[in-house]
Amino acid sequence: MTPLRRIVIVGNGVAGLTAADTLRADGFDGELTIVGEEVTPAYSRPALSKALLRSDADLTAHELPAPDHGAAELLGRSAASVDAARRLLALDDGSVLSYDGLVIASGSRARRLGMAADELVLRTLGDALALRSRIATRPAVVIVGGGPLGMEVASGAIEAGCSVTLVTKEQPMLRHLGEHLAATIVAAATARGLRIVLTPEARVVESHGRSSVVLADGSAVAGDLVLTAAGDIPNTEWLRGGAAWLTPGGAVAVDTRGRVSSSIVAAGDVAAVPTGSWHARSPLWNSAIDQARAAASALLRGDEAPELTARPYFWTEQFDLTIRIAGRTPLRGTPEVVDGDSSGAALLRWRHDDGTATAVSVNYRIPIPRLRRLCEPDHAE
Amino acid sequence: MRIELDRPRCEGHGLCEEAAPDLLHLDDDGEVVIDVPEVGDDALERARAAVRVCPVAALRLA
Repeated sequence: MTPLRRIVIVGNGVAGLTAADTLRADGFDGELTIVGEEVTPAYSRPALSKALLRSDADLTAHELPAPDHGAAELLGRSAASVDAARRLLALDDGSVLSYDGLVIASGSRARRLGMAADELVLRTLGDALALRSRIATRPAVVIVGGGPLGMEVASGAIEAGCSVTLVTKEQPMLRHLGEHLAATIVAAATARGLRIVLTPEARVVESHGRSSVVLADGSAVAGDLVLTAAGDIPNTEWLRGGAAWLTPGGAVAVDTRGRVSSSIVAAGDVAAVPTGSWHARSPLWNSAIDQARAAASALLRGDEAPELTARPYFWTEQFDLTIRIAGRTPLRGTPEVVDGDSSGAALLRWRHDDGTATAVSVNYRIPIPRLRRLCEPDHAE
Repeated sequence: MRIELDRPRCEGHGLCEEAAPDLLHLDDDGEVVIDVPEVGDDALERARAAVRVCPVAALRLA
């Protein structure tokens, strides 16, 4: 392969940051540029809906160690378009960067359901700080979405003293984690005062510049503040010229080494990795890191770089529950109780038909390496 | 360089141990034990990876 002299990374989240670190660790000593939409240094996104929302929060909970990759950082700017044939990247300020290698780590953005500016979402540090200051005044909060983000925000808002109504199509966390864990979480949430409203469809409508949530039966949910936690949309509009790379959901489909082509790779929330017969995103902290490592190595070393090994790890903190999961979800049926008891702090396991398993800790402190060992085929404890 | 732990920040995920099992591990209580605090050039890449993977930035290299 021709040595690369100039690599541009689009995105300054943990995927972009890890790609930069990996390129340097793998010996790339050429010109490295990172384009970041936000002006703040890279931060830990999982902290935004967890530690940072607590009333006694350490307001540095999201801060990561300063980078030492020596890249030129173009912050407050975003990619506008790419010309893959000529290897040119245009930015929103009109400047054009040429590259030998391009890392797409432009992440995703929160999906909004309404049009008014007062509809809150939680994706960026700015979103989190705005939400934090709003919930400090104890408004009645209406959250749309019963996934991990909606539930973590609900937990933080209740802890801050807000009354919280969560509007969702199905039982919170059911689609993500399955019946058993969803029931555990919902029991803890309702015991702490969360009001859950099930509706086939929720709309966020605007009236006089204010958002409100309207249910499928036409009734409105009373509240002072609307927060939408209805998923995220990959930031790939700037890849219009490369539409052939995109999945129907707008993510960048990559090969088993994170590549789109020999000179373009993608990682993190924007990327869809091969999972058997199709491509799927894995918008998780350590998936972003693993993908970025694989993609950066493949950019430098091509087929000699190791293939990505998916090792999903998910954790959530809500309603005094800390749940950590190694292995695939959702989880059907009743778990085996490895330790503890199924109504309190416990180490649980679901065995799958292929011999692997998913291991789950609920308020049970266990490091990932041990949790993962419980997932190995026919592991005996 | 030296691996430093901000113990109150640590949540015991253990992603650091996975990145650099020869440099640190979590004990039975889930507390990080740094086995090799002074990192030479040969282990620097793994130490950096351990620091980077921590979602609560409890580790740093100084």
